[in-house]
Amino acid sequence: MKRIRIDKIIVDGNCRAEALVVDHKISFFGEVDPRTGRTVEGYYIGGKALIFPGTRGSTVGTYIVYGLKYYGHAPACIIVYDAEPILIAGAVLADIPLFIVKEEYEELVGHVKSGEHAIILHRRGEEVLVIE
Amino acid sequence: MYLTREQERILAGEEGWVKAKALKVIVRVGEALGANRLVKIRHAHVSGISYTNIGKPGLKFLEELARSGAETIVYTTSNPTCVDLTGESSLIDHSYLEQQFLVNKALEKMRVKPTYTCLPYMLRAPAPHEHLAWGESNAVAMANSFYGARTNREGGPIALLASITGYIYDAGLHKIEERTARVMIRFHDRLDDLTASLLGLWIGESINNIPLLELTPRPSIHEIKLLLASAAATGSHALVVIRGVTPPRTYGEDIVDKISLRREDLLKNYRDYLWSGGDYDLAYIGCPHLSGTEMLRIKRSLEKCLWKTRGKMILSIPPIVSSVFAREFGILRKKGIEVIAGTCPVVTRFKYKPGLVVTNSGKAFFYLRRLHKLDVYLASIEDIIGAKY
Repeated sequence: MKRIRIDKIIVDGNCRAEALVVDHKISFFGEVDPRTGRTVEGYYIGGKALIFPGTRGSTVGTYIVYGLKYYGHAPACIIVYDAEPILIAGAVLADIPLFIVKEEYEELVGHVKSGEHAIILHRRGEEVLVIE
Repeated sequence: MYLTREQERILAGEEGWVKAKALKVIVRVGEALGANRLVKIRHAHVSGISYTNIGKPGLKFLEELARSGAETIVYTTSNPTCVDLTGESSLIDHSYLEQQFLVNKALEKMRVKPTYTCLPYMLRAPAPHEHLAWGESNAVAMANSFYGARTNREGGPIALLASITGYIYDAGLHKIEERTARVMIRFHDRLDDLTASLLGLWIGESINNIPLLELTPRPSIHEIKLLLASAAATGSHALVVIRGVTPPRTYGEDIVDKISLRREDLLKNYRDYLWSGGDYDLAYIGCPHLSGTEMLRIKRSLEKCLWKTRGKMILSIPPIVSSVFAREFGILRKKGIEVIAGTCPVVTRFKYKPGLVVTNSGKAFFYLRRLHKLDVYLASIEDIIGAKY
């Protein structure tokens, strides 16, 4: 059990899901297929607690985040270091919980990677993530 | 964020859940960007509507929004799509005609104007200090730099949501203190279309701050358009202050660095990307779209030439001016020149992959290379059409 402080809750919601860390910024447009829920590297992000540094690239990314929900492949929650308007708009529209973790981001990533199948838990209204 | 009673009411769903959700997006994004209030917008411009870019997820989003009764409450224009509205192009791929028309139908149901051009300022010129929510990077740069209006570079979805609520967050270029130029660039030679594109590309690549340009003699809107579109492509510049052009008091100055440039410097820097003459497969002029005046000038220059062009040529224009030139399309086509309306090679697909492409636009050069992986070179209009422009 490890507790990580959330710096800002953008879309709140309950979440209990397996963590998936992507080490680089993601351009949802071009790098994530909303119809399969897979990234270009082949990770399946549906139902996961998706952790990555932030987004980049085309603003069409908003539609892709929304499309993931539409096709049933939305992540259970998204945890980022930096949140661009592209991602915020997509998460609000698709009702995907979105948290910014800044100060303890490295700790979060290190802890998730050190074990297998880490589970991220978040309760609505609380400003912490719990890694099980 | 401070919200007025009217904004609170909208958020609480008293004007319907769609409007509430749209405003929630604007508020959330605004909060993340540090805005402490919303501002009223006068004009929204929606980009990201070409089906070949947004695909099925974009179409579904727009259809659902339209079905839920979302409607724009401010003047709202639309960017080019993937369809040539003259219907006569032999080069533009129309495989997605049906899907694009579904996108258009959803937009028009929401009362977005079917303008399909990247020149929203031609349809309604913004006033200095006016707040806008515009997508389309070249238009955003023109709004801030040429008209002194205030807009950040919004994505299509956010511009649309802003048009439904009438509000955008007060952050970035909406605030006068964020509109301060830091780097002065003196350019000592007359700008033509080629050097305008090169200077824009160079600014985008080399300058991170808001630049202040000193250009003598004062360039025309034609060159400024190309310069800003190019700078917005390579460097996401949304404001380039141009002395004598950008309206006074719409920007600040706190110069920390000065740079001096000449035409030769630009030609040398981009020498590998300059067209050396000879044959080309496709020439493209009209990124950003040609205004009526520009189209007229080019048409006159082309009429003086008796020869056929050295390859195919595409000119792209806004649908609103296309009917004026419709009678000439046939004559131009005999010379290998196609006029396309409401679309452009950047947001659509070609029927075949062209070989060597030449253009006078730094923006087209950048995106056709990067997105469509084409072999693109830069040249002035005069060199491309082989006549005085």
